[in-house]
Amino acid sequence: MKRVVYGLLTVVLVSLAWFNSSMAAEGPLLLELAKTNIKISTFYNGTTLDVAGSLPADEDVVVQLSGPKKDVHLKEKGKVAGFLWMNKTDVSLENTPAVYMVYTPTGSTADKFLNPDLGVGYQALVKDITSNPESADKTFIFGEYVKLMEKSGVYAINEGTVKYGEPNDGMKSFIITLTIPSKMSAGTYKVAALAMKDGVVTSRVTEDLTLELSGLPAAISSMAYGRPLLFGFMAVFIAVGAGLLVGVLFRGGGGAH
Amino acid sequence: MFYMYLPIAGNSVNILLILGLGGFVGLLSGIFGVGGGFLMTPLLMMFGIPPTVAAASDSNQIVGASTSGTLAHMRHGNVDIAMGVMLLIGGIAGGTVGVQIIKLLRAIGGADFLIAITYVIMLGGVGGYMFWESLQSMKKSKTTTAEAKMSAGEQKPTKKSLLQMLPLQYKFEKSGCHISMLLPLGFGILVGILAAIMGVGGGFIMVPVMVYLLRMPMHVVVGTSLFQILFTCINVTVMQAYSNKTVDFVLAVLLLLGSTIGAQVGTSIGKKLKADQLKIMLASLVLLVCAKMMAGLLMTPTIMVALKGGH
Repeated sequence: MKRVVYGLLTVVLVSLAWFNSSMAAEGPLLLELAKTNIKISTFYNGTTLDVAGSLPADEDVVVQLSGPKKDVHLKEKGKVAGFLWMNKTDVSLENTPAVYMVYTPTGSTADKFLNPDLGVGYQALVKDITSNPESADKTFIFGEYVKLMEKSGVYAINEGTVKYGEPNDGMKSFIITLTIPSKMSAGTYKVAALAMKDGVVTSRVTEDLTLELSGLPAAISSMAYGRPLLFGFMAVFIAVGAGLLVGVLFRGGGGAH
Repeated sequence: MFYMYLPIAGNSVNILLILGLGGFVGLLSGIFGVGGGFLMTPLLMMFGIPPTVAAASDSNQIVGASTSGTLAHMRHGNVDIAMGVMLLIGGIAGGTVGVQIIKLLRAIGGADFLIAITYVIMLGGVGGYMFWESLQSMKKSKTTTAEAKMSAGEQKPTKKSLLQMLPLQYKFEKSGCHISMLLPLGFGILVGILAAIMGVGGGFIMVPVMVYLLRMPMHVVVGTSLFQILFTCINVTVMQAYSNKTVDFVLAVLLLLGSTIGAQVGTSIGKKLKADQLKIMLASLVLLVCAKMMAGLLMTPTIMVALKGGH
């Protein structure tokens, strides 16, 4: 009986292992991140991330960096009293990525790849977003939101930035350096490589990228959210202390006044 | 190398830039007795700090700058504590009322319109009047002093008789006036309501109120205003940290380093300037901010949406 159980277990384990490996090697597309975890410490000012991989020589690759989906609450501007521009109506975009950056390969224009059917580009995001109220012009609002995000550096279309190596054995390598702006907050993001040929996505590989607070920023953040009242008093106490200290220092040094 | 990460704002900033910004606003605060929130918050937003975090961290910073400034002014004998306490009590009461008004308006709609209009009218009105008045008084000082004395003497008796009818008369020594305690209390409430509606500390409204309505000497106005702002901002900082979690301590400390020193330098500069010069400079500053706001309201925006939370 024991033998039968062991035998069955072995079969299950082997088939699981085979299934997993076949998932990882779904296609000939390979993607590798220089690191999968970025620490946000005291003097952090954004960073870069080297990404490399390989794909069949006759295909193209697009690299996407996208962030946690969230609901964004916006004010749409409008005219009040006929001539004053103000934040007028409330509108929310649900299921909107906090970060979205696309890197397209050299040798072609970005338009070739920015296609909702391929799941690449801002137009592709609109499908998954819902607006609240539903009557709002979702495409227009999202378009304006994109402008706002591009300004703060968390949305970008980087045309012709993925570089290819020389083809070898029907394969070619690619490299790209991703920009990680300081405005990208702690969380888990996805880096995806999409191989394409003749306007069709042939394979897709995704890796997780985690940004986490460490050191002083982590300590301050956990106190601000965990013990807010104490944090508030501490902030006031230190401010008063600094004010008194400078006041006393100036009296000492500024006796002439 | 010169960058630091702000954990609550979720962005990093150039240390030197923020130190400089703190120093500049601290300088203004020491000279004019204003918290500088009406300048600092928009400037921080320009550097990518979310509006709510900018306003809350700024009030934390003002605590430091006004402590430093109040101390400096106290040494020069420029703080009327009794007057400051009365204005403060009124300010807190008015602030509470103002917050409720805004809540009600947000429910009905039209809060943003009221905020923007209040801002422009207050800035324009206060700045314009102060500018005009100090210009007149600068001209006047060139004409015969006897003439000026006569016109001042004519006005005083009528005003005094009206004010003397109020109960709780008190001699505010430093301010050099004998008036009812209800007067600063009432003005405090008024400024508190306006400040809450506009989402600012109210220093730039409080200063003209003390100068023109309470007739206090300009240098005592500055010191007393800072004293009052100190306590208002302590209250705001704790409340913001507790209920909204928007105080970025790293940002506040960076601003503090600049502003506490700026406030000391400002106090020394202010001491050397004449009251009319102080008034006309503050008026120009207020008018400049007003003009910028007007431009923002009149010009077609390049981006038609804004993140919720700012004005």
